[in-house]
Amino acid sequence: MRDRVNQLPPDAPMDYRARMAILRERKLEDTQDKLRELGPVNSDDHGTIAPPPAFDEAFRNAIYSNHPNGSWYGYDGYSENFYRLMDLYPAFIDPCDAFPCREMAYLGSFRPQRGFLPEAPYDHLKPTQEQYDIVHGIGAQQHFGIDYTIGLTLGWGGLLEKIDAYQRRNPGHDDFYDAEVKTIRGVQQWMKHTLEAIDAALTRETHPVLIGNLKQMRECTEHLLDGVPRTLREACNWICWFKMASRTYNGDGAGGQLDELLRPYYEADLASGRVTRDEAVFYISCLLLSDPHYYQVGGLTADGRDMITYFSYMVLEAADWLDSSCNITVRVHEGMDRAFLKKSVEYLFKNKNGWPRFSGDDALTEGFMRLGYPKELAVKRVAVGCHWMSLPGLEYTLNDCVKTNNTRIFEVALNEMRHDGQPPSVERLWDIFTQHTQRCVEATAEGIRFHLKNQWRNSPELALNLLSHGPIEKGLDMSGGGAEYYNMCIDGTGIATVADSFAALEQRVEREGRLSWAQVYAALDSDFGGPNGEYIRRMLAESNRYGGGGTAADHWAERISLHFTECVTAQSDGELKFVPGWFSWSNTIPMGKAVGATPNGRKAHAPISHGANPHPGFRRDGALTAMSNAICAIQPGYGNTAPIQLELDPGMARGDEAVLKIVDYIRAIMKQGATLLNINIIDAGKILEADKNPALYPDLVVRVTGFTAYFCMLTKEFRQLVVERILKAS
Amino acid sequence: MGIVTEIQRFSLNDGPGIRTTVFLKGCDMRCAWCHNPETCEPSRQMMIYPERCIGCNACVRLDETKARSGLPPPRESLQLDDADGCFSGALRVVGQEMAASAVMEEIIQDCAYYEASGGGVTISGGEAMTQPAFVKELLTLCREHGVQGAVETNLAYTFDRLAELAGLLDLVMADVKIFDPASHRRWTGVGNERILENVKSLRTLNIPVILRTPVIPGVNDNNDEIIAISRYIADNVPNLMYYELLNFNPLGDSKYRALGLDNPFAQMRPLSAEDIERLADAARSCGIPVRVG
Repeated sequence: MRDRVNQLPPDAPMDYRARMAILRERKLEDTQDKLRELGPVNSDDHGTIAPPPAFDEAFRNAIYSNHPNGSWYGYDGYSENFYRLMDLYPAFIDPCDAFPCREMAYLGSFRPQRGFLPEAPYDHLKPTQEQYDIVHGIGAQQHFGIDYTIGLTLGWGGLLEKIDAYQRRNPGHDDFYDAEVKTIRGVQQWMKHTLEAIDAALTRETHPVLIGNLKQMRECTEHLLDGVPRTLREACNWICWFKMASRTYNGDGAGGQLDELLRPYYEADLASGRVTRDEAVFYISCLLLSDPHYYQVGGLTADGRDMITYFSYMVLEAADWLDSSCNITVRVHEGMDRAFLKKSVEYLFKNKNGWPRFSGDDALTEGFMRLGYPKELAVKRVAVGCHWMSLPGLEYTLNDCVKTNNTRIFEVALNEMRHDGQPPSVERLWDIFTQHTQRCVEATAEGIRFHLKNQWRNSPELALNLLSHGPIEKGLDMSGGGAEYYNMCIDGTGIATVADSFAALEQRVEREGRLSWAQVYAALDSDFGGPNGEYIRRMLAESNRYGGGGTAADHWAERISLHFTECVTAQSDGELKFVPGWFSWSNTIPMGKAVGATPNGRKAHAPISHGANPHPGFRRDGALTAMSNAICAIQPGYGNTAPIQLELDPGMARGDEAVLKIVDYIRAIMKQGATLLNINIIDAGKILEADKNPALYPDLVVRVTGFTAYFCMLTKEFRQLVVERILKAS
Repeated sequence: MGIVTEIQRFSLNDGPGIRTTVFLKGCDMRCAWCHNPETCEPSRQMMIYPERCIGCNACVRLDETKARSGLPPPRESLQLDDADGCFSGALRVVGQEMAASAVMEEIIQDCAYYEASGGGVTISGGEAMTQPAFVKELLTLCREHGVQGAVETNLAYTFDRLAELAGLLDLVMADVKIFDPASHRRWTGVGNERILENVKSLRTLNIPVILRTPVIPGVNDNNDEIIAISRYIADNVPNLMYYELLNFNPLGDSKYRALGLDNPFAQMRPLSAEDIERLADAARSCGIPVRVG
């Protein structure tokens, strides 16, 4: 944790842009510190900084255990340890920043035993989970959206009053309510320590502008200890406090509809002359600097009004000031303002940081309504995660936590066909594959049901419960009955690997007769070794591919997705719904490791395909339209996503006309049912150089999967995935 | 049937909006700087990339006299069919006979993008108009499907060939490569007298026209050439959408090698951004809209 107080001469230029430039440079320094002290990580940047060396040991010595195995569980264990961590949490002050503190630790990483509550074993589920390499999500936390308006309306003080009122009404839930109170008290304790740190900074800082800022920072923090945010600065700061706390508690990264959340505060400030436009942009920029939470701008209201306003432009401008890792999603719909979309694309190409992303309002809304929800509710689902939407504060989802390894399912099916004594055929393989897919999905759903029954006493959602509609009112955790809706995400993965494998067998074995089944089996067993191994591998890999445009593999992908969708939705039972999507997140590597060689020419244990994308090199001209059409065609269509991930050359958007072509491409794919679009703008030469020596490119940001990260912070293995995608696309 | 080099979807540089560019095979010019040499010959050709060879010998399996280790056999001993068993990318046949309806099947997959962006299809080459009947058939199908059609052409033929397509075209893109007739003949193998006459006739089509000049170092990268062309356009093409200067493209070298041809411009590099902008300014001084591609 670097000392940022009194580091600049008193006459240094200090307007808002200059301050953000300083903060950006400091963020790069902090990133290098993290890399040095904590090593690479394959996840979001999170805006964390490395804590002082003594903190780790201090908290380990303070850990409260409520279980014989030395770990902690449930309301009591989590609230007590969160309080203790907050009490010891360092208060970081940067006088250039509008807001104090940074996130520095994850509570869960200190747990002496990280497994699920021993009193709730799920050994009976493990054989099937292991057979299919299911990412089961049991014990997973957060990954649903919260409603920031609850916190902005009540403040910490109001939340305490709300808890008190409902605790009186709901006898028998004292453990829950006491834990929620302790959680808030923990945050307040951190804020009190922060006040002391600001006072100390004030005694040292000599720059007049920064002294003024520190005084405002103090006033703001003191008011927010109990009070309700009144101004834009206070609103942004309250969000910062909550998200730093919730991120520390269990890694929560869900933001909200940022433009509409903050606009009323700005307008009130503006009307009373409390803020300038630049100052407001600076506050938003500091909020984004604090943590690249997932925020959305734009979208539709229930009555069909486009939510894009001048303030939406200000949010993008704030991200442009920051020019760093950011997770803002622009929600695209048929009638949206084309000028705003153009501005978004301009920022995407200007900063080359992978933001904004674009979500497809129309397909998402229509899909969610297919689950039986009214349009009024469906339009409120905001883009607040790697690949996911959530109803703020209403919905428990386990989004992005539960995944089936469909390539493994394919492998199991192929092995079964080999050994069952029947004549092999692609159609028989399909039949067996569908049976195993169904079994795998049933086992996955069973795991989710187990989680919903037991998670509250394992790792409750004490932070996110506070900004949800239901938990406080009912005295129940979001994971265990507190939420209004349970729409449980099950994502399929590796659709390209599986579709290409089916298509390759169909083409090379059955249609062309170039290979026999025995030759295919031998090639897979030897991982394409032996005298003809590489030849056979190339032959299979050169078969028609998913993403090619009307290819057999495209049709296989549609068939696979349709069947998977039927399997997942069939698990729904009353109020408990299961929602399919296609997204691997960063599981492409571990899931690939769990599977041997596949008939698409993929070597044993190599990564599976990424998200809903085709394998790189899917088509000679790499046509985005062909790839996009293929991905649009495999959308499950129930309100969750199967994203399109693009790697574009920076030269593609030279000039206004070229930018408009990208805008029109986005409009066209959304009209065809696309749900989410992630774009990297990266020069292939630059990424190759950066891969050789990442430290020389400390500010290179890439959108890895759903999240953005500094390239230098990724492991070699993960960098390789990104590099391969970008090189093949170029 | 036509002979097609390649169909490139999501093409952003061949006319307005998002387009599909259909590259036909065969050209009646031999521009010394051509970066698509595989499109020049009207017939199918073998492209050989020895560095991709994995030594599988699939290409020689039926004829042991061709056998070599680790490299493709010599070009002269190969038949086009030999590439059929090559999956390493070492042997590739360029050129495919396709029915217009088959090309159309590919084109219509991107209708949503044409509609959103005002794009369509550009038929290019080689020289598109070396296959006029196929072009007409394809443009007719485009019209039937509501897809806008354009040709990219060198205008080195009698104008009636293009005029016959007038009702099927929404845009013409044509090259004026060099203004000086002798220089034009020297560098392209064809004189430009007919081309310049045809440029004048473009107004009769009553559709927008984009004219382009590939700017080649040592050939036409000077004010005299560019201004002469620009003045000619300003005087004769009232339906000009814009005039575009295309910087020399050096990426054809590996294709020359794959075809077993010498590349006379192998060592040439593109103009700097400043130099090409300077030429664009010279062109603008003639009062026409100018872009740098």
